[in-house]
Amino acid sequence: MKVKVCVGSNCTLLGSMNILDQIDDLKEIISEDLDNYNDEELEVEVVKCLGFCKETNEKVAPIVVIDDEPMFNATGQTVMEKIINKMRK
Amino acid sequence: MKESYVDLINIRRQVFAKIAKMAYDGSDLSELEKSSFEILPGEVAIYRDSIFKERAIVEERIRLTMGLDARKPSEYHRITDGISEVDVDKAQFIEPLVNVITHACEACPTKAFFVTDNCRKCLAHPCTNVCPTNAVSIGKNRANIDQDKCIKCGRCKETCPYSAIVKYERPCAEACGVNAIDSDYLGRAQINKDRCVSCGRCITYCPYGAISDKSQIYQLIKSLKTNNHMYAIIAPSFLGQFGPLASPVQIFEGIKQLGFEDVVEVSLGADITTLHEAKEFLERVPDEIPYMGTSCCNSWTLMVKKLFPDQFDYISDSSSPMVETAKYIKKKDPKAKITFIGPCISKKLEALREDVKDYVHFVITYEELMGMFVAKDIELSEIEVSKEIQDASTLGRGYAIAGGVAEAVKKTALIIDPSREINVEGVSTLHECVKLMKIAKAGKKNGYLLEGMACPGGCIAGPGTIASMNRVKKAVIDFKNQSEYKTPFDNNIIDEKLRNK
Repeated sequence: MKVKVCVGSNCTLLGSMNILDQIDDLKEIISEDLDNYNDEELEVEVVKCLGFCKETNEKVAPIVVIDDEPMFNATGQTVMEKIINKMRK
Repeated sequence: MKESYVDLINIRRQVFAKIAKMAYDGSDLSELEKSSFEILPGEVAIYRDSIFKERAIVEERIRLTMGLDARKPSEYHRITDGISEVDVDKAQFIEPLVNVITHACEACPTKAFFVTDNCRKCLAHPCTNVCPTNAVSIGKNRANIDQDKCIKCGRCKETCPYSAIVKYERPCAEACGVNAIDSDYLGRAQINKDRCVSCGRCITYCPYGAISDKSQIYQLIKSLKTNNHMYAIIAPSFLGQFGPLASPVQIFEGIKQLGFEDVVEVSLGADITTLHEAKEFLERVPDEIPYMGTSCCNSWTLMVKKLFPDQFDYISDSSSPMVETAKYIKKKDPKAKITFIGPCISKKLEALREDVKDYVHFVITYEELMGMFVAKDIELSEIEVSKEIQDASTLGRGYAIAGGVAEAVKKTALIIDPSREINVEGVSTLHECVKLMKIAKAGKKNGYLLEGMACPGGCIAGPGTIASMNRVKKAVIDFKNQSEYKTPFDNNIIDEKLRNK
Protein backbone atom coordinates (compact mmCIF):
# COMPACT_ATOMS: atom_id res chain seq x y z
CA MET A 1 0.00 0.00 0.00
CA LYS A 2 1.26 3.40 -0.88
CA VAL A 3 0.65 6.36 1.43
CA LYS A 4 1.63 9.82 0.30
CA VAL A 5 1.71 12.55 2.91
CA CYS A 6 1.74 16.10 1.58
CA VAL A 7 4.27 18.26 3.40
CA GLY A 8 3.62 21.48 1.53
CA SER A 9 3.51 24.66 3.60
CA ASN A 10 -0.19 24.59 4.38
CA CYS A 11 -0.23 20.90 5.28
CA THR A 12 2.88 21.30 7.45
CA LEU A 13 1.30 24.24 9.24
CA LEU A 14 -1.76 22.15 10.01
CA GLY A 15 -0.03 19.04 11.26
CA SER A 16 1.21 16.75 8.48
CA MET A 17 4.36 15.89 10.43
CA ASN A 18 2.23 14.62 13.29
CA ILE A 19 0.40 12.36 10.84
CA LEU A 20 3.77 11.05 9.63
CA ASP A 21 4.83 10.34 13.21
CA GLN A 22 1.59 8.48 13.81
CA ILE A 23 2.03 6.36 10.69
CA ASP A 24 5.51 5.49 11.94
CA ASP A 25 4.01 4.37 15.25
CA LEU A 26 1.48 2.32 13.33
CA LYS A 27 4.26 0.35 11.65
CA GLU A 28 5.28 -0.74 15.12
CA ILE A 29 1.76 -1.82 16.02
CA ILE A 30 1.58 -3.87 12.82
CA SER A 31 5.01 -5.44 13.24
CA GLU A 32 4.04 -6.65 16.72
CA ASP A 33 0.99 -8.44 15.37
CA LEU A 34 2.06 -9.71 11.94
CA ASP A 35 -0.30 -12.68 11.90
CA ASN A 36 -3.32 -10.44 11.58
CA TYR A 37 -2.07 -8.30 8.74
CA ASN A 38 -1.43 -9.11 5.12
CA ASP A 39 2.11 -9.08 3.77
CA GLU A 40 1.65 -5.96 1.72
CA GLU A 41 4.36 -3.42 2.40
CA LEU A 42 3.36 -0.09 3.89
CA GLU A 43 5.20 2.40 1.76
CA VAL A 44 5.16 5.99 3.04
CA GLU A 45 6.26 8.85 0.87
CA VAL A 46 6.47 12.52 1.76
CA VAL A 47 5.51 14.67 -1.20
CA LYS A 48 5.73 18.33 -2.13
CA CYS A 49 2.58 20.45 -2.25
CA LEU A 50 -0.01 18.57 -4.32
CA GLY A 51 -1.82 21.80 -5.11
CA PHE A 52 -5.28 20.78 -3.86
CA CYS A 53 -5.58 23.67 -1.41
CA LYS A 54 -4.65 26.18 -4.06
CA GLU A 55 -7.54 25.11 -6.29
CA THR A 56 -10.23 25.76 -3.71
CA ASN A 57 -11.27 28.22 -1.04
CA GLU A 58 -12.42 25.41 1.19
CA LYS A 59 -10.15 24.23 3.95
CA VAL A 60 -8.69 20.89 2.77
CA ALA A 61 -5.23 20.63 4.39
CA PRO A 62 -3.66 18.40 5.55
CA ILE A 63 -3.86 16.02 2.63
CA VAL A 64 -2.91 12.34 2.55
CA VAL A 65 -3.24 10.14 -0.51
CA ILE A 66 -3.75 6.43 0.10
CA ASP A 67 -3.43 4.28 -3.03
CA ASP A 68 -4.29 7.25 -5.25
CA GLU A 69 -7.34 8.19 -3.19
CA PRO A 70 -6.92 11.65 -1.62
CA MET A 71 -8.12 12.30 1.93
CA PHE A 72 -8.88 15.94 2.75
CA ASN A 73 -8.60 17.43 6.24
CA ALA A 74 -6.71 14.28 7.14
CA THR A 75 -6.09 13.51 10.76
CA GLY A 76 -3.93 10.88 12.40
CA GLN A 77 -6.88 8.78 13.41
CA THR A 78 -8.66 8.79 10.03
CA VAL A 79 -5.43 7.95 8.20
CA MET A 80 -4.44 5.20 10.62
CA GLU A 81 -7.92 3.69 10.52
CA LYS A 82 -7.85 3.56 6.74
CA ILE A 83 -4.43 1.95 6.65
CA ILE A 84 -5.30 -0.61 9.33
CA ASN A 85 -8.57 -1.54 7.62
CA LYS A 86 -6.83 -2.04 4.31
CA MET A 87 -4.07 -4.14 5.79
CA ARG A 88 -5.92 -6.24 8.31
CA LYS A 89 -6.64 -9.78 7.17
CA MET B 1 1.97 22.97 21.01
CA LYS B 2 1.45 19.40 22.11
CA GLU B 3 1.28 17.48 18.82
CA SER B 4 -1.70 15.35 19.75
CA TYR B 5 -3.80 18.49 20.41
CA VAL B 6 -4.56 18.57 16.70
CA ASP B 7 -7.67 20.80 16.75
CA LEU B 8 -6.04 23.38 18.98
CA ILE B 9 -3.00 23.49 16.76
CA ASN B 10 -5.20 24.06 13.73
CA ILE B 11 -7.10 26.96 15.24
CA ARG B 12 -4.00 28.59 16.67
CA ARG B 13 -1.99 28.38 13.45
CA GLN B 14 -4.86 29.39 11.18
CA VAL B 15 -4.98 32.63 13.15
CA PHE B 16 -1.24 33.19 12.57
CA ALA B 17 -1.64 32.61 8.83
CA LYS B 18 -4.71 34.86 8.72
CA ILE B 19 -3.06 37.81 10.49
CA ALA B 20 0.12 37.37 8.44
CA LYS B 21 -1.93 37.44 5.25
CA MET B 22 -3.77 40.59 6.32
CA ALA B 23 -0.44 42.23 7.08
CA TYR B 24 1.09 41.30 3.73
CA ASP B 25 -2.07 42.34 1.84
CA GLY B 26 -2.28 45.60 3.75
CA SER B 27 -5.93 44.83 4.58
CA ASP B 28 -7.97 47.39 6.48
CA LEU B 29 -7.98 46.34 10.10
CA SER B 30 -11.73 46.85 10.38
CA GLU B 31 -11.87 43.49 8.60
CA LEU B 32 -10.83 41.88 11.87
CA GLU B 33 -14.51 42.19 12.85
CA LYS B 34 -15.39 39.34 10.50
CA SER B 35 -12.22 37.28 10.66
CA SER B 36 -13.47 34.89 13.33
CA PHE B 37 -16.39 34.20 11.01
CA GLU B 38 -14.03 33.40 8.17
CA ILE B 39 -11.96 31.05 10.32
CA LEU B 40 -15.08 29.35 11.71
CA PRO B 41 -17.84 29.59 9.09
CA GLY B 42 -21.29 28.02 9.27
CA GLU B 43 -23.52 27.56 12.28
CA VAL B 44 -22.54 24.18 13.63
CA ALA B 45 -20.03 24.12 16.45
CA ILE B 46 -17.04 21.85 15.88
CA TYR B 47 -14.86 22.40 18.91
CA ARG B 48 -17.03 23.68 21.74
CA ASP B 49 -20.68 23.71 22.72
CA SER B 50 -21.61 26.65 20.51
CA ILE B 51 -20.24 28.28 17.38
CA PHE B 52 -20.67 31.69 19.01
CA LYS B 53 -18.41 30.75 21.88
CA GLU B 54 -15.88 29.30 19.45
CA ARG B 55 -15.82 32.55 17.51
CA ALA B 56 -15.62 34.66 20.66
CA ILE B 57 -12.54 32.73 21.71
CA VAL B 58 -10.96 32.92 18.26
CA GLU B 59 -11.46 36.68 18.44
CA GLU B 60 -9.31 36.77 21.58
CA ARG B 61 -6.66 34.73 19.78
CA ILE B 62 -6.76 37.27 16.99
CA ARG B 63 -6.29 40.11 19.48
CA LEU B 64 -3.37 38.34 21.16
CA THR B 65 -1.79 37.62 17.78
CA MET B 66 -2.13 41.32 16.96
CA GLY B 67 -0.27 42.00 20.22
CA LEU B 68 -3.33 43.25 22.13
CA ASP B 69 -4.65 42.07 25.47
CA ALA B 70 -7.47 39.55 25.53
CA ARG B 71 -10.75 41.19 26.55
CA LYS B 72 -12.54 40.56 29.81
CA PRO B 73 -15.94 38.93 29.27
CA SER B 74 -17.37 41.38 31.79
CA GLU B 75 -16.46 44.52 29.84
CA TYR B 76 -17.70 45.77 26.50
CA HIS B 77 -14.97 46.14 23.89
CA ARG B 78 -14.93 45.76 20.15
CA ILE B 79 -12.38 43.33 18.74
CA THR B 80 -10.54 46.31 17.26
CA ASP B 81 -10.38 48.39 20.46
CA GLY B 82 -6.84 49.63 20.95
CA ILE B 83 -5.83 48.57 17.44
CA SER B 84 -4.21 51.86 16.46
CA GLU B 85 -1.61 51.28 19.16
CA VAL B 86 -0.45 48.04 17.52
CA ASP B 87 -0.93 49.10 13.89
CA VAL B 88 2.72 50.13 13.71
CA ASP B 89 5.94 48.81 12.23
CA LYS B 90 7.77 48.11 15.46
CA ALA B 91 7.18 45.57 18.21
CA GLN B 92 4.50 47.10 20.40
CA PHE B 93 4.54 44.87 23.38
CA ILE B 94 1.91 45.06 26.07
CA GLU B 95 2.66 42.93 29.11
CA PRO B 96 1.83 40.28 30.21
CA LEU B 97 3.16 37.92 27.57
CA VAL B 98 1.25 34.84 28.72
CA ASN B 99 -2.51 35.33 28.96
CA VAL B 100 -5.46 33.25 30.04
CA ILE B 101 -8.40 33.68 27.67
CA THR B 102 -10.85 33.66 30.56
CA HIS B 103 -13.94 32.46 28.72
CA ALA B 104 -11.97 29.62 27.12
CA CYS B 105 -10.86 28.33 30.52
CA GLU B 106 -13.13 25.56 31.78
CA ALA B 107 -12.11 26.02 35.42
CA CYS B 108 -10.74 22.51 35.82
CA PRO B 109 -10.69 21.40 39.47
CA THR B 110 -7.34 21.76 41.19
CA LYS B 111 -5.19 18.89 42.35
CA ALA B 112 -7.16 16.14 44.06
CA PHE B 113 -7.46 12.37 44.44
CA PHE B 114 -10.73 10.82 43.27
CA VAL B 115 -12.23 7.38 43.69
CA THR B 116 -13.55 5.99 40.41
CA ASP B 117 -16.12 3.30 39.55
CA ASN B 118 -13.37 0.69 39.72
CA CYS B 119 -13.75 0.68 43.50
CA ARG B 120 -15.31 -2.54 44.83
CA LYS B 121 -15.49 -1.49 48.49
CA CYS B 122 -13.23 -4.46 49.16
CA LEU B 123 -12.94 -6.09 52.51
CA ALA B 124 -9.31 -5.17 52.96
CA HIS B 125 -9.86 -1.52 51.98
CA PRO B 126 -6.16 -0.62 52.25
CA CYS B 127 -7.00 2.90 51.07
CA THR B 128 -8.48 3.75 54.45
CA ASN B 129 -5.76 1.92 56.34
CA VAL B 130 -2.85 3.82 54.83
CA CYS B 131 -4.32 7.32 54.93
CA PRO B 132 -2.30 9.44 57.36
CA THR B 133 -5.16 11.91 57.92
CA ASN B 134 -8.06 9.48 58.11
CA ALA B 135 -9.60 11.13 55.08
CA VAL B 136 -10.73 7.93 53.35
CA SER B 137 -13.85 6.14 54.44
CA ILE B 138 -15.98 3.47 52.81
CA GLY B 139 -19.21 4.98 51.56
CA LYS B 140 -22.38 3.44 50.18
CA ASN B 141 -21.11 2.67 46.69
CA ARG B 142 -17.39 3.20 46.94
CA ALA B 143 -14.64 4.70 49.05
CA ASN B 144 -14.92 8.40 49.76
CA ILE B 145 -12.12 10.89 50.13
CA ASP B 146 -12.82 13.85 52.37
CA GLN B 147 -11.19 16.60 50.32
CA ASP B 148 -10.91 18.88 53.37
CA LYS B 149 -8.85 16.34 55.25
CA CYS B 150 -6.83 14.99 52.30
CA ILE B 151 -3.18 16.14 52.20
CA LYS B 152 -2.66 14.69 48.67
CA CYS B 153 0.10 12.27 49.64
CA GLY B 154 -1.17 9.66 47.16
CA ARG B 155 -0.80 6.64 49.49
CA CYS B 156 -4.37 5.45 48.84
CA LYS B 157 -3.79 5.54 45.10
CA GLU B 158 -0.61 3.50 45.40
CA THR B 159 -2.10 0.80 47.55
CA CYS B 160 -5.43 0.21 45.78
CA PRO B 161 -5.38 -3.24 44.11
CA TYR B 162 -8.02 -2.18 41.54
CA SER B 163 -6.37 1.05 40.35
CA ALA B 164 -9.60 2.68 41.50
CA ILE B 165 -8.08 5.92 42.76
CA VAL B 166 -6.79 8.51 40.33
CA LYS B 167 -4.80 11.64 40.81
CA TYR B 168 -6.32 14.62 39.12
CA GLU B 169 -4.57 17.86 38.38
CA ARG B 170 -5.33 20.78 36.11
CA PRO B 171 -2.95 20.38 33.21
CA CYS B 172 -1.76 24.00 33.29
CA ALA B 173 -0.82 23.83 36.96
CA GLU B 174 0.83 20.45 36.61
CA ALA B 175 2.92 21.71 33.70
CA CYS B 176 4.02 24.83 35.56
CA GLY B 177 7.40 24.40 37.22
CA VAL B 178 7.19 27.53 39.34
CA ASN B 179 3.70 27.19 40.78
CA ALA B 180 2.42 30.27 39.00
CA ILE B 181 -1.14 29.12 38.28
CA ASP B 182 -3.71 30.48 40.72
CA SER B 183 -7.50 30.55 40.40
CA ASP B 184 -9.85 33.48 39.97
CA TYR B 185 -13.22 33.79 41.74
CA LEU B 186 -14.84 31.36 39.29
CA GLY B 187 -12.07 28.83 39.63
CA ARG B 188 -10.52 29.70 36.29
CA ALA B 189 -6.77 29.73 35.88
CA GLN B 190 -5.01 32.97 36.64
CA ILE B 191 -1.32 33.57 36.17
CA ASN B 192 0.70 34.86 39.07
CA LYS B 193 2.95 37.43 37.42
CA ASP B 194 5.43 37.45 40.29
CA ARG B 195 6.25 33.80 39.75
CA CYS B 196 5.65 33.23 36.01
CA VAL B 197 8.82 33.05 33.92
CA SER B 198 7.02 32.78 30.56
CA CYS B 199 8.34 29.33 29.66
CA GLY B 200 5.07 28.58 27.82
CA ARG B 201 4.44 25.09 29.24
CA CYS B 202 0.88 25.98 30.28
CA ILE B 203 0.15 27.21 26.75
CA THR B 204 1.28 23.86 25.38
CA TYR B 205 -0.58 21.73 27.89
CA CYS B 206 -4.00 23.33 28.30
CA PRO B 207 -6.42 20.93 26.53
CA TYR B 208 -8.86 23.80 25.93
CA GLY B 209 -6.30 26.11 24.39
CA ALA B 210 -7.22 28.69 27.00
CA ILE B 211 -3.73 30.10 27.47
CA SER B 212 -1.87 31.96 24.77
CA ASP B 213 1.07 34.29 24.31
CA LYS B 214 1.10 37.45 22.24
CA SER B 215 2.62 37.70 18.82
CA GLN B 216 4.48 40.37 16.88
CA ILE B 217 3.99 39.02 13.35
CA TYR B 218 1.69 41.83 12.26
CA GLN B 219 4.15 44.57 13.23
CA LEU B 220 7.06 42.54 11.87
CA ILE B 221 5.45 42.16 8.44
CA LYS B 222 4.61 45.86 8.36
CA SER B 223 8.23 46.59 9.03
CA LEU B 224 9.41 44.07 6.42
CA LYS B 225 7.38 45.90 3.80
CA THR B 226 9.14 49.23 4.31
CA ASN B 227 12.55 48.63 5.87
CA ASN B 228 15.55 47.38 3.88
CA HIS B 229 17.67 46.56 6.87
CA MET B 230 15.68 43.64 8.24
CA TYR B 231 17.73 40.63 9.33
CA ALA B 232 16.55 37.28 10.66
CA ILE B 233 18.51 35.19 13.11
CA ILE B 234 17.33 31.64 13.56
CA ALA B 235 17.82 29.45 16.63
CA PRO B 236 19.81 26.17 16.55
CA SER B 237 16.61 24.12 16.83
CA PHE B 238 15.25 25.24 13.43
CA LEU B 239 16.23 22.01 11.67
CA GLY B 240 13.36 19.85 10.52
CA GLN B 241 10.71 22.28 11.82
CA PHE B 242 9.27 23.23 8.43
CA GLY B 243 8.63 19.82 6.93
CA PRO B 244 10.88 16.89 6.04
CA LEU B 245 11.52 18.15 2.51
CA ALA B 246 12.69 21.67 3.43
CA SER B 247 16.50 21.77 3.60
CA PRO B 248 18.30 24.25 5.87
CA VAL B 249 19.34 26.41 2.97
CA GLN B 250 15.82 26.38 1.50
CA ILE B 251 14.53 27.56 4.88
CA PHE B 252 17.06 30.43 4.82
CA GLU B 253 16.07 31.36 1.29
CA GLY B 254 12.38 31.16 2.14
CA ILE B 255 12.92 33.56 5.03
CA LYS B 256 14.60 35.99 2.65
CA GLN B 257 11.58 35.77 0.36
CA LEU B 258 9.50 37.03 3.28
CA GLY B 259 11.37 40.31 3.02
CA PHE B 260 14.52 39.80 5.05
CA GLU B 261 17.87 41.05 3.83
CA ASP B 262 19.81 38.14 5.27
CA VAL B 263 19.58 35.21 7.69
CA VAL B 264 22.23 34.15 10.21
CA GLU B 265 22.41 31.08 12.45
CA VAL B 266 22.05 31.89 16.15
CA SER B 267 24.54 29.05 16.63
CA LEU B 268 27.14 31.66 15.68
CA GLY B 269 26.13 33.63 18.77
CA ALA B 270 26.20 30.34 20.66
CA ASP B 271 29.88 30.00 19.73
CA ILE B 272 30.53 33.50 21.04
CA THR B 273 28.57 32.82 24.25
CA THR B 274 30.56 29.60 24.68
CA LEU B 275 33.87 31.47 24.47
CA HIS B 276 32.70 34.07 26.99
CA GLU B 277 31.25 31.54 29.40
CA ALA B 278 34.30 29.26 29.22
CA LYS B 279 36.62 32.16 30.08
CA GLU B 280 34.24 33.43 32.73
CA PHE B 281 34.06 30.02 34.38
CA LEU B 282 37.83 29.64 34.45
CA GLU B 283 38.30 33.12 35.89
CA ARG B 284 35.50 33.27 38.45
CA VAL B 285 34.92 29.73 39.75
CA PRO B 286 35.68 28.98 42.56
CA ASP B 287 37.43 32.18 43.76
CA GLU B 288 34.76 34.78 43.00
CA ILE B 289 31.63 32.65 42.77
CA PRO B 290 31.05 29.11 44.12
CA TYR B 291 29.49 27.75 40.93
CA MET B 292 28.31 29.13 37.62
CA GLY B 293 24.95 28.76 35.88
CA THR B 294 24.62 29.10 32.14
CA SER B 295 22.80 32.16 30.85
CA CYS B 296 21.20 31.23 27.54
CA CYS B 297 17.75 30.04 28.66
CA ASN B 298 15.78 33.13 29.62
CA SER B 299 13.17 31.29 31.67
CA TRP B 300 15.87 29.59 33.71
CA THR B 301 17.66 32.86 34.49
CA LEU B 302 14.32 34.57 35.24
CA MET B 303 13.43 31.72 37.56
CA VAL B 304 16.70 32.14 39.46
CA LYS B 305 16.18 35.90 39.63
CA LYS B 306 12.62 35.57 40.94
CA LEU B 307 12.90 32.57 43.24
CA PHE B 308 16.58 32.57 44.24
CA PRO B 309 17.59 36.26 44.09
CA ASP B 310 20.63 35.75 46.34
CA GLN B 311 22.01 33.20 43.85
CA PHE B 312 21.48 35.33 40.76
CA ASP B 313 25.08 36.60 40.82
CA TYR B 314 26.23 33.05 40.09
CA ILE B 315 24.49 32.98 36.71
CA SER B 316 26.91 33.82 33.92
CA ASP B 317 27.08 37.47 32.86
CA SER B 318 27.59 36.47 29.24
CA SER B 319 24.94 37.53 26.77
CA SER B 320 22.72 34.87 25.25
CA PRO B 321 23.37 33.48 21.75
CA MET B 322 20.41 35.53 20.49
CA VAL B 323 22.01 38.76 21.69
CA GLU B 324 25.52 37.86 20.52
CA THR B 325 24.27 37.04 17.04
CA ALA B 326 22.36 40.32 16.90
CA LYS B 327 25.46 42.24 18.04
CA TYR B 328 27.47 40.60 15.27
CA ILE B 329 24.98 41.80 12.64
CA LYS B 330 24.65 45.23 14.20
CA LYS B 331 28.42 45.69 13.88
CA LYS B 332 28.20 45.04 10.15
CA ASP B 333 25.05 47.10 9.56
CA PRO B 334 24.36 49.70 12.27
CA LYS B 335 20.91 50.30 10.81
CA ALA B 336 19.99 46.63 11.17
CA LYS B 337 16.61 45.66 12.62
CA ILE B 338 16.89 42.13 13.88
CA THR B 339 14.24 39.41 14.24
CA PHE B 340 14.92 36.34 16.35
CA ILE B 341 13.10 33.23 15.10
CA GLY B 342 13.02 30.38 17.57
CA PRO B 343 11.12 27.75 19.52
CA CYS B 344 10.90 30.02 22.53
CA ILE B 345 8.40 32.57 23.78
CA SER B 346 10.53 33.65 26.73
CA LYS B 347 12.86 35.34 24.24
CA LYS B 348 10.02 37.78 23.56
CA LEU B 349 10.60 39.04 27.10
CA GLU B 350 14.39 38.90 26.92
CA ALA B 351 14.22 41.19 23.88
CA LEU B 352 12.54 43.87 26.03
CA ARG B 353 15.43 44.09 28.49
CA GLU B 354 17.23 47.43 28.59
CA ASP B 355 20.53 45.84 27.55
CA VAL B 356 18.93 43.84 24.72
CA LYS B 357 16.24 46.05 23.16
CA ASP B 358 18.64 47.93 20.89
CA TYR B 359 19.84 44.68 19.33
CA VAL B 360 16.79 42.47 19.00
CA HIS B 361 13.68 44.18 17.62
CA PHE B 362 11.26 41.33 16.97
CA VAL B 363 10.89 37.80 18.29
CA ILE B 364 8.70 35.19 16.60
CA THR B 365 8.35 31.43 16.87
CA TYR B 366 8.63 28.72 14.22
CA GLU B 367 4.85 28.31 14.31
CA GLU B 368 4.41 32.00 13.59
CA LEU B 369 7.03 31.88 10.83
CA MET B 370 5.22 28.93 9.23
CA GLY B 371 2.07 31.07 9.23
CA MET B 372 4.01 33.72 7.34
CA PHE B 373 5.24 31.19 4.75
CA VAL B 374 1.64 30.10 4.17
CA ALA B 375 0.41 33.70 3.94
CA LYS B 376 3.06 34.45 1.32
CA ASP B 377 2.46 31.17 -0.55
CA ILE B 378 6.07 30.10 -0.15
CA GLU B 379 6.78 26.41 -0.77
CA LEU B 380 10.18 25.85 0.84
CA SER B 381 10.87 22.51 -0.81
CA GLU B 382 10.45 24.03 -4.26
CA ILE B 383 13.01 26.82 -3.82
CA GLU B 384 16.05 26.30 -6.01
CA VAL B 385 19.20 27.28 -4.20
CA SER B 386 22.60 25.73 -3.78
CA LYS B 387 24.67 27.18 -1.01
CA GLU B 388 26.11 25.97 2.21
CA ILE B 389 25.41 27.43 5.60
CA GLN B 390 28.57 27.64 7.67
CA ASP B 391 27.98 30.20 10.39
CA ALA B 392 28.75 28.08 13.41
CA SER B 393 30.73 25.23 14.93
CA THR B 394 29.51 21.76 15.83
CA LEU B 395 29.42 22.78 19.49
CA GLY B 396 27.38 25.92 18.80
CA ARG B 397 24.82 23.97 16.81
CA GLY B 398 24.49 21.59 19.75
CA TYR B 399 22.93 24.27 21.99
CA ALA B 400 19.47 23.20 20.90
CA ILE B 401 19.61 19.86 22.71
CA ALA B 402 19.66 19.64 26.51
CA GLY B 403 23.24 19.21 27.69
CA GLY B 404 24.63 20.92 24.61
CA VAL B 405 25.43 24.24 26.25
CA ALA B 406 27.37 22.78 29.15
CA GLU B 407 29.17 20.41 26.81
CA ALA B 408 30.27 23.30 24.59
CA VAL B 409 31.41 25.43 27.53
CA LYS B 410 33.23 22.56 29.20
CA LYS B 411 35.04 21.42 26.06
CA THR B 412 36.02 24.98 25.25
CA ALA B 413 37.24 25.69 28.78
CA LEU B 414 39.34 22.51 28.68
CA ILE B 415 40.98 23.66 25.45
CA ILE B 416 42.03 26.85 27.23
CA ASP B 417 43.12 25.10 30.42
CA PRO B 418 43.42 21.31 30.10
CA SER B 419 44.49 21.00 33.73
CA ARG B 420 41.12 22.06 35.12
CA GLU B 421 38.58 19.57 36.31
CA ILE B 422 35.09 20.75 35.46
CA ASN B 423 31.99 19.12 36.87
CA VAL B 424 28.83 19.63 34.92
CA GLU B 425 25.21 19.13 35.82
CA GLY B 426 22.36 19.86 33.46
CA VAL B 427 18.60 19.68 33.90
CA SER B 428 15.76 20.37 31.53
CA THR B 429 12.24 21.20 32.77
CA LEU B 430 11.48 24.05 35.08
CA HIS B 431 10.58 21.66 37.92
CA GLU B 432 14.08 20.18 37.72
CA CYS B 433 15.65 23.62 37.43
CA VAL B 434 14.03 24.68 40.71
CA LYS B 435 15.21 21.47 42.40
CA LEU B 436 18.75 21.96 41.13
CA MET B 437 18.84 25.53 42.41
CA LYS B 438 17.71 24.40 45.87
CA ILE B 439 20.62 21.97 45.96
CA ALA B 440 23.04 24.57 44.61
CA LYS B 441 21.87 27.09 47.17
CA ALA B 442 22.61 24.55 49.90
CA GLY B 443 26.22 24.59 48.71
CA LYS B 444 26.18 21.09 47.24
CA LYS B 445 27.12 22.10 43.69
CA ASN B 446 30.18 24.19 44.42
CA GLY B 447 32.72 24.15 41.61
CA TYR B 448 30.06 23.07 39.14
CA LEU B 449 28.93 24.39 35.81
CA LEU B 450 25.13 24.21 35.91
CA GLU B 451 23.07 24.12 32.77
CA GLY B 452 19.43 25.03 33.21
CA MET B 453 16.85 24.62 30.46
CA ALA B 454 13.16 25.25 31.05
CA CYS B 455 11.89 22.97 28.27
CA PRO B 456 12.05 19.17 28.65
CA GLY B 457 14.86 18.04 26.35
CA GLY B 458 16.09 21.55 25.65
CA CYS B 459 15.10 24.12 23.04
CA ILE B 460 14.07 21.39 20.59
CA ALA B 461 10.97 20.98 22.77
CA GLY B 462 10.11 24.66 23.00
CA PRO B 463 6.49 25.83 22.93
CA GLY B 464 6.85 27.43 19.48
CA THR B 465 8.02 24.30 17.67
CA ILE B 466 6.19 22.52 14.85
CA ALA B 467 7.94 19.16 14.52
CA SER B 468 8.18 16.53 17.24
CA MET B 469 11.27 16.50 19.41
CA ASN B 470 12.68 13.25 18.00
CA ARG B 471 12.35 14.49 14.45
CA VAL B 472 14.16 17.73 15.27
CA LYS B 473 16.81 16.03 17.35
CA LYS B 474 17.86 13.86 14.43
CA ALA B 475 17.95 16.84 12.09
CA VAL B 476 19.98 18.94 14.56
CA ILE B 477 22.57 16.19 15.03
CA ASP B 478 22.81 15.80 11.28
CA PHE B 479 23.36 19.54 10.80
CA LYS B 480 25.91 19.65 13.64
CA ASN B 481 27.98 17.08 11.84
CA GLN B 482 27.96 19.14 8.65
CA SER B 483 29.76 22.05 10.31
CA GLU B 484 33.25 22.84 9.09
CA TYR B 485 34.30 23.98 12.53
CA LYS B 486 34.67 21.62 15.46
CA THR B 487 34.86 24.23 18.20
CA PRO B 488 34.29 27.99 18.46
CA PHE B 489 38.07 28.49 18.17
CA ASP B 490 37.92 27.27 14.56
CA ASN B 491 35.04 29.57 13.64
CA ASN B 492 36.82 32.29 11.71
CA ILE B 493 33.77 34.55 11.54
CA ILE B 494 34.36 35.32 15.21
CA ASP B 495 36.68 38.13 16.25
CA GLU B 496 40.21 36.81 16.70
CA LYS B 497 40.67 38.57 20.01
CA LEU B 498 37.85 36.59 21.51
CA ARG B 499 39.26 33.36 20.08
CA ASN B 500 42.58 34.03 21.80
CA LYS B 501 43.28 31.24 24.23
